[in-house]
Amino acid sequence: MKALQDAMPLIEKTSRLVGTSAERRLNLARLPWLEWWIKSRWPLLIVRSVTLAAFIFTILAGLVGSPVGSHNFAIIFVWIAWWTALKLLFIPLGGRSWCSVCPLPMPGEWLQAGGLISKAGNANGFGLRWPRRLRGYWLASGLFLLIGMFSAVTLTDARLTAWILLILLVSALALSLVFERRAFCSYLCPIGGFTGLYAKTAPLEVRVIHPAVCKTHSEKTCYLHCPWGIYPLAMRDSSQCGLCMECLRVCEYDNIALNLRPFGSDLAVSQPKTGLDETLLALVMLSSALSFSAVFTGPWGWLKSAAYAIGSPAWLAYSAAYLALSLLVLPGLYALAVWLSRNAGEIGKPLKRLIAEQAQPLLPLGLFTWIAFTIDFAFPKFSLILSVLSDPLGWGWDLFGTAGASIHPAILGAAPMLQVGAVLVGLFWSVNLGQRRVETQQANWRAALPVAAFSLLYSLLMLWLLVG
Amino acid sequence: MLREWLARLILVILLLATGLSLAAAWKARRAANVLYARMPENGGWTPSDLRATVGEPLTIRMTSDDVTHSFAVGQMDWPAVDIYPGEMSAVTLTFDRPGKYTFYCTRWCGVNHWRMRGTIQVSATEPEAPEKAEPPLYVQLGLDIDAEHSARFLPDRTPSAGRGAIMGASLPQKYASREYYLSHSPSEAWQDLRDESNLSMRSDAELWDLVAFAWSLQTTSDAIAAGEELYRPNCAACHGKTGGGNGVFAKELGDEAHSLDGHAIAAPAIFSDPENMLGASPALLHGKIVRGGMGTGMPYWGPIFTDEQVWALVSYLWTFQFNFDLEAKP
Amino acid sequence: MIRWKKITFWGLIASLGLGFSLAPLPARANSGAHKVFTLQAKRYAFWPAVLVVNPGDRVTIELIPQDVVHGLSIDNYDLNMTADPGQTTSLTFIAGQPGSYTMRCSVTCGAMHPFMIGRLQVGQNDLLWRAAGLALLAAVAGIFWRRV
Repeated sequence: MKALQDAMPLIEKTSRLVGTSAERRLNLARLPWLEWWIKSRWPLLIVRSVTLAAFIFTILAGLVGSPVGSHNFAIIFVWIAWWTALKLLFIPLGGRSWCSVCPLPMPGEWLQAGGLISKAGNANGFGLRWPRRLRGYWLASGLFLLIGMFSAVTLTDARLTAWILLILLVSALALSLVFERRAFCSYLCPIGGFTGLYAKTAPLEVRVIHPAVCKTHSEKTCYLHCPWGIYPLAMRDSSQCGLCMECLRVCEYDNIALNLRPFGSDLAVSQPKTGLDETLLALVMLSSALSFSAVFTGPWGWLKSAAYAIGSPAWLAYSAAYLALSLLVLPGLYALAVWLSRNAGEIGKPLKRLIAEQAQPLLPLGLFTWIAFTIDFAFPKFSLILSVLSDPLGWGWDLFGTAGASIHPAILGAAPMLQVGAVLVGLFWSVNLGQRRVETQQANWRAALPVAAFSLLYSLLMLWLLVG
Repeated sequence: MLREWLARLILVILLLATGLSLAAAWKARRAANVLYARMPENGGWTPSDLRATVGEPLTIRMTSDDVTHSFAVGQMDWPAVDIYPGEMSAVTLTFDRPGKYTFYCTRWCGVNHWRMRGTIQVSATEPEAPEKAEPPLYVQLGLDIDAEHSARFLPDRTPSAGRGAIMGASLPQKYASREYYLSHSPSEAWQDLRDESNLSMRSDAELWDLVAFAWSLQTTSDAIAAGEELYRPNCAACHGKTGGGNGVFAKELGDEAHSLDGHAIAAPAIFSDPENMLGASPALLHGKIVRGGMGTGMPYWGPIFTDEQVWALVSYLWTFQFNFDLEAKP
Repeated sequence: MIRWKKITFWGLIASLGLGFSLAPLPARANSGAHKVFTLQAKRYAFWPAVLVVNPGDRVTIELIPQDVVHGLSIDNYDLNMTADPGQTTSLTFIAGQPGSYTMRCSVTCGAMHPFMIGRLQVGQNDLLWRAAGLALLAAVAGIFWRRV
């Protein structure tokens, strides 16, 4: 609290810079038919209880159900249904919206708050601050790379999926008892990392409406009750906000809004504070999309076998290649592009800072590449969602009569064009963003070309992997 | 405070409903006799020993945990039931006679597929005198079926039963007997024919044709067709569609890493090799099929095929060496 | 940019875009040949993984599983076959529109079965060429679409 009070002058100065765009945007929380649903605690609690129950069901299904992945609720619902919903709906349309209903942190958050229907807070637990060294996206990058190395087995083994979910659940709970707020979500969740990154492109945000009101408000109720430890007035972007809207509910002046905003608003903010850790995570996501496309949707059986045979020399070679691509090749090419751009027009800034700043265009590129990959990966398996609803454990049930369902071929036929469309949108947006950023910096327009070339080459490679 | 208890109640109800329904489902599943079909490398049939009583229907529900399998009972007429991964199949069997039956997988599920067997112990309602089983023919004849059996004499061209039929009248009676056929290899038969004084003017090739003709008398085209029907799903995967010892598993069978019990493995026998086949008597072939390869990858088919089926297979095997088409022109 | 220059530029981009998307690509004459492939299937790959044919060809694929029961289905084609080791099956069909179609194993054959994938390349991959052209256009358009 004291730290916050000390920082107040800087926060207020920044908020004036950030602007009062909230005053111009459509506040969904004021829409008559939506207002109660947002301001009451009950709808969110019910949804969270349902997702928690479904999560427990998923873990149990993975542990006791058939080990055959295509007939197990855990595999199909985690890696096909939920993953597709996350990549195609939750993130592009809602940013970090999944985080508001995610069951993982809920037991911990309820314990911290001391109740299910009470305001979020830090009544229980040790409430330690997360170590400074471990902040940022470094951990998220590392965890995602780790997942990538074991992805072939994780995506196909129901037992392993169940164990991973269980470990995540227990870790989130343990962390909630030791650290303050949603420490797991902010720093350890493998999904949280890239969801936060891509949230900057999404059309939903939670922001303060009139900063002047906050200036005279000393209790800072919103900050006290935010599970993410955010001070709404100081929000530069939506990457840390889980859209739980607790701040909106507790604000005594009703001064917080849930705004509909143009796509990519956070990316247009001048002086974007992108750290090297964000840049690395953005690049890790790009290289992982390449790698997963090659392994899962490519015709190279030897690559799949290598990725699957954990512990074998082939797997070690695959992991080494994956890590090299993610930590050396792609970052190296990107750094080269930034260095070229420096020579072309942005002389005067240190390379390190440029590398971080120029990473913004990598976000829409990554978002849409992952959308394209998800379409390629998941669409052909949609029929399994229906069949596994009727027979979640692979025990020969047919609860809803859909056990033998198959998907309409029209959906499958459209998939390649949808993938191409997604890659093209991401490429255009990325290049345009780079160009606009260069313009606002008053640098030579040619400075945008090298990173644009990087994005173009990357997109061509992705296109070849997806529809080649 | 009331709201809080209501919220907790809702959560607890949801979680209990989830947990209890799954627990109930799991219990029901354990109570049902589910037979798990798994590749032998993953444990084979689980459980592998079943029990039944004569006259009482035994219903078995089966599922596979890895690849496509199927269920059949050896030496019985019941059709095989396919078992697909993640799906449930069921079969109901009623046994007339007590004894130990072997059930097995009939769809190739890896190089160790033939090891995927289990037993059903069927007990009688009234005590019955056990049936006396006859030892297999090779035992009765005192044959060492593991001994070297290279043919001493080989034909220059494929012997044809059709050509042999033309000379059929000159075939001495003993060669047409089943006893002779069973206990002699074609090479021995040829040698015996060569020693016959009244056949001394016949050429070597003509005598081979006579051997083929003699062999053709011991089978029917129906039996050969039946043999082919058995060969394709059971033998072709290792021995090859054309008997060349080059089936899809042939290479693997020379690889120690795939031997489940550490025994030496050998490449599958080549049925199109005259030296190998023409030195083997039908009894020897019958014995190899019934007893298996003693640690090599050759399965023992004794509990699986009826005697009639084995003889049909033996007949089919001769078609790799002889032309049994009796309509053939010389 | 001067107004008429702007209109010309964007008009050019738009027409190129339409051209890349819709213009018919030069296609090789239909040879109508009969192409026979022996497709080996082993967990978890097909060999050869990529089959190349021309539009209009009569294609026969003989599926030869090497270890367990495998199947074959091809996206956009209504065909499906299953084969056991030692017993091959064949099917014949006519290759249709040019493009790259995914071949999949249609019988669960183990853990990585959903990713047992091959490709049927009919003629040239129109979609990939168009996409590449459009990607180039998208990058160019992105550079010049200036909105401050």
